[in-house]
Amino acid sequence: MEQIPWSITEQERALAARCIGLAREAGASAVRVALNKSIMNLVLLRDGAPDKVSRSGDRSLTFNLFVDGRYGTFSVNRLEEGLLRDFLRDAVETVRMLAPDPFRRLPDAARTAKDARTGLELGLYDPAYAAVTPASRMERALGASIFQKSRPEGYSLISEELEYSDSVYDSYLVDSEGLEARHIESSFEMGCEMTVADPEGNKYSGYWWDASPRRDDLRTGRISPEALRRACAQMHPLPHPGGACTMVVENETSSRLLSPLLGALSAFSIQQGNSFLVDTLGKQVFPEGFTLADRPRTPGESGSKYFDSEGVATREAAIIDRGIVREYFVNTYMAGKLGMAPTREDAMRPCVLPFRPQGCSKGPFGLKEILAWCREGILVTGFNGGNHNSATGDFSYGVEGFAFHDGVPVHPVREMVVTGNIRTLWNHLLAAGDDPRRGAAKQVPTLAFGQVEFSA
Amino acid sequence: MILSQDTYLRLFGVDTPALERLVTTALQDGGDYADLFFEDTLYRDLLLRDGVVASGGSHIDYGVGIRCLKGEKTGYAYTESTRMEDMLGAARAAATIARGAAPTGPYPTFPFPGRPNPAADRYPVVKDWRDTPAAEFLPLLERLEALIRERDSRVAKVIAMLSAQHSNILMYNSLGELKYDSRPCGTLAVSVIFSDGKAQQNKHVSRSFRCGAEMLTEALLKDLADEAVRGLDDRFASRRPKGGKMPVVMGAGASGILLHEAMGHAFEADFNRKGQSIFSDRMGQRVCAENITVVDDGTLRGNRGALNLDDEGVPGQRTVMVDHGILTSYLHDRISARYYGVRPTGNGRRESFRYNPIPRMRATYMESGSDQPFDIIASVRKGIYVDEFANGQVKIGEGDFTFYVKSGYLIENGRLTAPIGDINIIGNGPAALADIVAVGNDGKVDPGAWTCGKEQSVPVSCGIPTVLVRSLTVGGD
Repeated sequence: MEQIPWSITEQERALAARCIGLAREAGASAVRVALNKSIMNLVLLRDGAPDKVSRSGDRSLTFNLFVDGRYGTFSVNRLEEGLLRDFLRDAVETVRMLAPDPFRRLPDAARTAKDARTGLELGLYDPAYAAVTPASRMERALGASIFQKSRPEGYSLISEELEYSDSVYDSYLVDSEGLEARHIESSFEMGCEMTVADPEGNKYSGYWWDASPRRDDLRTGRISPEALRRACAQMHPLPHPGGACTMVVENETSSRLLSPLLGALSAFSIQQGNSFLVDTLGKQVFPEGFTLADRPRTPGESGSKYFDSEGVATREAAIIDRGIVREYFVNTYMAGKLGMAPTREDAMRPCVLPFRPQGCSKGPFGLKEILAWCREGILVTGFNGGNHNSATGDFSYGVEGFAFHDGVPVHPVREMVVTGNIRTLWNHLLAAGDDPRRGAAKQVPTLAFGQVEFSA
Repeated sequence: MILSQDTYLRLFGVDTPALERLVTTALQDGGDYADLFFEDTLYRDLLLRDGVVASGGSHIDYGVGIRCLKGEKTGYAYTESTRMEDMLGAARAAATIARGAAPTGPYPTFPFPGRPNPAADRYPVVKDWRDTPAAEFLPLLERLEALIRERDSRVAKVIAMLSAQHSNILMYNSLGELKYDSRPCGTLAVSVIFSDGKAQQNKHVSRSFRCGAEMLTEALLKDLADEAVRGLDDRFASRRPKGGKMPVVMGAGASGILLHEAMGHAFEADFNRKGQSIFSDRMGQRVCAENITVVDDGTLRGNRGALNLDDEGVPGQRTVMVDHGILTSYLHDRISARYYGVRPTGNGRRESFRYNPIPRMRATYMESGSDQPFDIIASVRKGIYVDEFANGQVKIGEGDFTFYVKSGYLIENGRLTAPIGDINIIGNGPAALADIVAVGNDGKVDPGAWTCGKEQSVPVSCGIPTVLVRSLTVGGD
């Protein structure tokens, strides 16, 4: 295999494997070692001119140590073997001071990944990365900037901040039960924030981005114009009376509403009683139109990976199937604590599947179609702060976006708050589009919810 | 904690000629300023869950960040090794920002000569975290759980976390300034799940200080336990208010999040230098009432935001941002100070050697006014009082900020009535500032573990006296 820039070397892999021996010599009964290495180069342009270049290279070793029925986690970014020997000796001594925990163990070897040998199996590393040079990086960023070319009318362009970065991430996992797994991915990303001012001097900002594991798949041409369009679209907001109405959430930001659900499905939250989905396994909790799947083995897609942080092989499955909760996220430790079978550590690449309400015609089902179907309400294009109560599911988020009438956005709204309960909100799911955001690890499309309470 | 200069040089295996060689290399392409930031950090953590401390660990982070400036432009690279060839590679990468760049300046660079003064140390350590075995901390976490449980029968689960950090820092720059510091930070936090048989509630409280393990006293444990159960009956009875615009009384202490989000970020000079901040053109102007003075302070001894030196070697200091209602200073790092032709204010901070410094807050607070808190509440016919928060955020350009309220009360006819919780509040920075119509005489800085996440995470503090904001948008049913 051709050497990938800044990837884990044979010597480093051998060092990781030797650390298992060092930990055992120090008294550990079982060990897992994660060796992570990454490099990132970044170019930041301000107003069309270079403002910052940076280069970062990281490598670290993380040890999960199981000692006399006790457990601890340690990490170090110095890879000198003598230092590692001392570090592991001290680490084992520290673990011996902790209380025993009978549920801490390595995963059953039968569950660990066997098909992640080279790290390249999922096709997430682009060999074109090796051909990227500082000059080509700068050229690509400069080519995407529109600051010098823009001809503002009805507004002034305050600033353009455009950031391009490329990176390689290489992770290697071994344990004392024979696990050996590797994952390599490249990433090419560009994002742009535009700030504009209206004639009265009020400022508005808009952001847009794209990302891909493949160099030539990064769509740089649309990023700055779209950021500018989004900034300008927010000018001249009008007051909104608030109250209960339909909420459409753009695919750019809809994953914010999925995160509380994923947290509530975690066995850790369930075990602590800190989840609004306690005692829901196997029950119809959500409407039939709602299906949440984990698809971590899709080749070439961001978020895919053949193994989790325990080295357990990932698998594809429905987590919430037509409204029924099919799985909690149960890792090896929580399986012991809860007396349940282990499932998965987390949803690695969660996907909300399309849900087309009755009366919708066939064909594409994205933002435009969902707005047309809903007719009236508020289109949310961004969340501004807020939080949720993990025990009750009560939430309150700041939102920005547009009021829409007859399926068409008519004016921007701001300084609004949406308030409710996450479980109730998803129970009022009206539609889920077929347009999840390209390049996002969480594949959540445009969503529509009924009876949502807005304050203004 | 300030050790001898030789201690730091030995730790990173460098001497003055080596440091000089590195900054010279970083300037080789025409940069006009360069600096080095060496860091060796040890993190330790212990976790009590389900009644036992059965999880813990330690983490070492070591490396050097090298920066080259050409006017306002930044080149930055870091290496996790202090071998000279690796550091020279990073220096050469950082230098490239100046390659082919047009001449800039003149940019004044204010010198800060002299060595750090151990006698002026803002975070002396009595009991070093690094020398204290984990076994010594286990009974303290168990004691904390016991104190919480004996205070309320509804306690279902307790998670207690102790984390400690000790960073040794060495800085050198192209002005020939050699600076060093050792920064401790200890945090004790507890999350409690309560159940009354019908419903669950959760609560998270913390204390964080720049000091050694001497912070772990019985008094601290009792203080945390008291706060963990405080207002619990109201928490179970809480409901959401009717949403909309209304007067908001912000309780003393943690309500300082209002200052942090509504003003502090907008006063950070990088946003102003780029013209993005809503306060970019308001220096010297009145931005709020005459009885309001807002400070960002790195000099509070033992405070989470305290700094002997910032991460550019500039002395920690007290910066008055708003003096009796007039905007008097932004928060500067060296870049913005050069741009504005003023002295840096000691706000150049970074999460670690992996990041270049940018203007960041330290301990941000409003000085006490003259109003009685009781009178402030009594002046509101219909509104809310809030005193416990989770998080906040701001959109710099628009000035729209939000913060999440975990608990508070309705105010009806001048009296606190029904408990409320889990609501987001949103407002606009300049408007909210101008809308502060009463300032209490009870200012205090909150001792919680606040962390600011602007591009990088850094420890901060916030504080405020009881204040009345005439109108904010409150989320509700």
